[in-house]
Amino acid sequence: MITLRTEFKKIKRKKIGLTMCALIGIQFAWLLWSGARPDEKEKLQGWIEMLYSLPPISVIMMPTVMSVLASRLADAEHKGSTYKLLNTLRRPGALYHAKAVCGALFILGISIAQFLFIIALGYARGYAGHPEWKRYAAAFLLHLACCLSLYLLQLLLSMLFFNQMIPLVAGLGGSMLGLILMYIKMYSFLPWGGFLSAAQAAMDWNPETRVIHFFYRQYSRVELCAVSMIFIWIVVFYTAGRILFSRKEC
Amino acid sequence: MPTPYLVETHNLTKQYGKNRCVNAVNMHVPPGAVYGFLGPNGAGKSTTLKMILGLARPTEGSITLFGTPVSEKNRMKLLAQTGSLIESPSYYGHLTGEENLRIIQTLKGCSEKDISEVLKIVRLSEARGKLVNHYSLGMKQRLGLAAALLGFPKLLILDEPTNGLDPAGIQEMRELVCSLPAAYGMTVLVSSHLLDEIDRMADYVGIIRKGGLIWQDSLESLHARSKEQIALRVSHTAIALDLLRQNGIEAAQEEEYLLLPMMDDAYVANLCRQLVAQNISLYRIEKREKSLEDIFLSLTGKESSL
Repeated sequence: MITLRTEFKKIKRKKIGLTMCALIGIQFAWLLWSGARPDEKEKLQGWIEMLYSLPPISVIMMPTVMSVLASRLADAEHKGSTYKLLNTLRRPGALYHAKAVCGALFILGISIAQFLFIIALGYARGYAGHPEWKRYAAAFLLHLACCLSLYLLQLLLSMLFFNQMIPLVAGLGGSMLGLILMYIKMYSFLPWGGFLSAAQAAMDWNPETRVIHFFYRQYSRVELCAVSMIFIWIVVFYTAGRILFSRKEC
Repeated sequence: MPTPYLVETHNLTKQYGKNRCVNAVNMHVPPGAVYGFLGPNGAGKSTTLKMILGLARPTEGSITLFGTPVSEKNRMKLLAQTGSLIESPSYYGHLTGEENLRIIQTLKGCSEKDISEVLKIVRLSEARGKLVNHYSLGMKQRLGLAAALLGFPKLLILDEPTNGLDPAGIQEMRELVCSLPAAYGMTVLVSSHLLDEIDRMADYVGIIRKGGLIWQDSLESLHARSKEQIALRVSHTAIALDLLRQNGIEAAQEEEYLLLPMMDDAYVANLCRQLVAQNISLYRIEKREKSLEDIFLSLTGKESSL
């Protein structure tokens, strides 16, 4: 707990919250633009459509957002050569854990803001009825898990490499890869495609009538495996990062 | 069996690939002393200190701190009684000096009062509210020392602490290091590549060269090696050496000269008469004094950079 408390002391004046707000603000702007002025038919399916719209945006944006977050948390340590002091005060594993938890709390904040925003937006647009709370809760938890898996991957890179361009490029590369994965299947076993696997809604487009129908997704066995993979990545990235960081010599 | 030393290493070795940068170092740091760890650049000083602090894993050998062998289990408990400044100061540039120390103080679990005290010791009280990015290199170095002093640990490990300091700062740092054992009961292990610096600060000296500890004793012992000698250059060196030894004089040959311990003038005159009586011609009689630098160079090798 003490180590975690010092993590928050370290990020004073780093404006990490503001940076996250700016990046998430782009997502909000995208959502505001994408479904602006819905007609009555669209309002009937508004809540499902919202759950359908979020994963593609997350696939493109969140790897970069997570790389920025991890890099902001780790770069001060590299710049100030602090590991050689900190590692005499706390075990490297404990320091790594504190960074992971600190970032996870930011992710929790970001995710709550995102879901509160889409719910508020849905009500403001006058979508019919109320959100399917169970589906929204599942979407929220899986979104959180996907962000966490990407953050832990980025944290691993940011903690190990002095040059923060390497993790940032990895984050941008992840966004690109996610974009490509989106055109292949609605699920992926790769960490950057987790948002696709986690999507609660799917779409059926009739080319003859040109009518789009949104529906809540029923997972196949393979898709469930892909969802499970998100949690496996969390364990893998956290464990690998903690072990590698502990073994690293200053 | 309890050890009389605060820091003790046994065959401490560190190898990176094929390069053995620390080779079987047996260091003994007595409590309450300022132990000067002296050696040319790249001799293995920082790597040795890093191994003592657990920042690098020894390839071979072991370390005993405060009489307890260091293991992965007790490392943090033992290090809680140490403060360190390795290579360059560690700091968060976007925070003030005081905020930096508060982070270390929280992690060390020492009193908040210590922050003001250590800032006063290193003369940074007035700059406590300034961002460390705006500090000069010397101020950063002093902040690093303040962080090491937090909690007033039993053992302070300082790796080249005068780096980046101006002459006045170097003088201050020396005085501060020398005062720590008496003022706070600390033992200081300080490294440097400057002989003069160690000569002015340390009670004990360890000299490392190419990874190996080649000398370790009190500074007095090192100074004793710099005693004055009489050098004789004669026509028949071997015969003269025998004659001197027969007279009970501990003489040694060094190139063309015979080196004799210092003796009074009357005795020297008597010796010269005896040599001439044996038909040995006397070419030179010189008084020689081996400086500390000569000793250091003879130990570390003249090719080593200082």
